[in-house]
Amino acid sequence: MKYFLFFFIFLFLSHNNSSVSAQSSYVLPYPAVMPGSMWYKVDLIQEILEKYWYFGNFSQFSYYINLSDKYLIEAKVLFEYKQYLLGINALKKSDSYYPEAFEHLQKAKDEGKNITKKRSMLEYAALKHIEVLKKMKNETPSEVIWTPEKELPTYILLHDALDSSMRIREKI
Amino acid sequence: MKNFFISLYICTLICLLFFSYAYIDSNLIYFRLLYSGFSYNYRATTTILFTSLVIILFVCYLFFIYLFQNKLLSVRDVKKLIITTITILFLSYPAMLSYDIFNYIATAKVVFFYKENPYIIMPIEFINDPLLLFTHAANKTALYGPVWITLTSFPFLLSFDNFLLTLFLFKLIPLVFYLYSLIILYKLSKNWYSILLFSLNPLVVIESLISSHNDIVMMGLALTAILLIKNNRNVLAMVFLSMSIGIKFSTIFLLPAFIYVIYRRLQKKGVNWNKMHSFSFLGMSSIFVLSPIREEMYSWYAIWFFIFVALMPDKKRIVKGSILFLFGLSLRYIPFMYVGTYDDTVIRARTAFMYIPLVIYISLIFIKKAIGKYRRYL
Repeated sequence: MKYFLFFFIFLFLSHNNSSVSAQSSYVLPYPAVMPGSMWYKVDLIQEILEKYWYFGNFSQFSYYINLSDKYLIEAKVLFEYKQYLLGINALKKSDSYYPEAFEHLQKAKDEGKNITKKRSMLEYAALKHIEVLKKMKNETPSEVIWTPEKELPTYILLHDALDSSMRIREKI
Repeated sequence: MKNFFISLYICTLICLLFFSYAYIDSNLIYFRLLYSGFSYNYRATTTILFTSLVIILFVCYLFFIYLFQNKLLSVRDVKKLIITTITILFLSYPAMLSYDIFNYIATAKVVFFYKENPYIIMPIEFINDPLLLFTHAANKTALYGPVWITLTSFPFLLSFDNFLLTLFLFKLIPLVFYLYSLIILYKLSKNWYSILLFSLNPLVVIESLISSHNDIVMMGLALTAILLIKNNRNVLAMVFLSMSIGIKFSTIFLLPAFIYVIYRRLQKKGVNWNKMHSFSFLGMSSIFVLSPIREEMYSWYAIWFFIFVALMPDKKRIVKGSILFLFGLSLRYIPFMYVGTYDDTVIRARTAFMYIPLVIYISLIFIKKAIGKYRRYL
C-alpha cells in the first residue's frame, strides 16, 4: 500500500506543466577550448569524428559553417591576447571552412533541395564574420614580428590576412 | 452474456475505426476525399463519442477478464478477439490522438530520401516538402533511437514514395510487434490470462494499433531480452536489450533488473524471476514517472510498465490500480478534444482525468482498511 502512495505522490510531484520557448537570430558561438589547453587535441579529434557524423550535404553545411564560426571566434580571442601566430592559424582554418560550407550548399541544390533559407543563413554569417573581422582589424597592428622561444621570428601581416578573410566572405 | 459483450466489443471497434477518420487533418492532401472536418466542427459530439467508446471498451475488457477468470471465456475466444482487434484497427486512421506516425515518416524521409542525418537536420529544413503540411513536430531533430530509424527503412523504401502505402506500412510495424510481444509474453508467463490482461487493454490497443506508437516495438525487444536471459543466452539477451534501448532509450531502466540476474548467477544462486519482473516493473514505472522532466507523461508510455503488470497477475492491487490508471490515461485526451487548445485549464483538467480513477481506487482501499480496523476494534 505504501508503495502505491509513494508512486502516486511521485506522479503528482513530477508533473511539470510549464513550457519554455526561445528565439534567436544568427549568433556566433562562445569561445571553445583554446590552443594550449589539454582538451584542445580532444576537441580536434572530436571535430574529425563529427565530420562523419554530419553526413548529407545540409549536415555538412552545418558542420563547416559551425567550424568557420568557431575558428573565427578562436582567432578573435587569440588576437585579443596578442597570440598572433596561433590567431592567424585559427583565422586560416575559419577561411578554409567557409567556402566548404558554400560548396555543400551548392551540392544540396544540385540534389534538388531548396537552399533558400540556408543560403540567406550563409549570407548572414558572412555579414557577421565581416563585422567581427573589421573590429579585429581596428584593434590589431597591421603587422607584427612574432618571435617564439628557441625558434626563428615570423613576420605576420595581420591586416592583409584580415582583408583576405573579408574578401573570401564577400566573394560568396 | 458472453456473446453480447463480444458483439459489443467488435461493434465498438468498428465504430472506433470510422470515428478515427473524423480526425483527418485538413492539410492531409492524400486523404482529401475523406476529410469531413467533423472532429473540428463538432467538438462536443466527438468528445462524447470518444468517451463513450473508451468506456465501452474498458467495460468489455473488464468483463472479458471476469469471464476468463471464471472459465467462461476460452483461450480460443481470446485468440479470436485479438485477431479481430488487429484486423479492424489496422484500417484505422492513425493520427486520431497523436501525430507521431507522421514524425516517424518525416524522420525516415530525412534519412532515406534526403540522405541527411536526422539527429542534425530537421524535416522543416526541407522547404516545400508535402509532409510539412501536416507533420506537427517537423521542427525537431529525430527523437528516437537509431534502431527505430533503421527499422523504418523497410516500410519507407517498400512504399515507393506512395504516401498511403507508406502510412499503412508504418502502421504494420507496431502491429507485427504487438503480436510478437504477445508471443514472447506467453513464453514468459505460460499464462493466457497475462495475454488477455495486456493485449485487450483499450489503452494498449488504441496506442499500439491505432496511433501506432513505437513503444510496443521497444517493449517487444525488451521482453525478448528477458526471455533470452532466462534461457541463459546472456550475450544475445544484451544484444536485444541494446536494440530495445536503441528504439526509444527508456528501457535503459531495465538494466538494474538484468544486473540482478547476472549478479545472482555469478554468486551461483538461483534467480527469482518474479522478483526480476517486479524490478522490471519498478524500473519502467520510474522512467514513466520521470517522463515529464523531458516532455510530458503521454498515455502510450504506460505500455512500458503495464507489460510487466501482465507478468505479475497475482499482484491484484497492482493489476487493479494499473488498469484504473490506464483508464484515466485514456481519458486524458478528453479536455483537449473538447476545447481544442492547450491552455492552463485544459492541462489541469487533463491531469485530473488522469488521476481521478486511481485516487478513487486508493481511497477505497483506505476506507476498506479503516472499516476493517474499526470492526476489529468493536
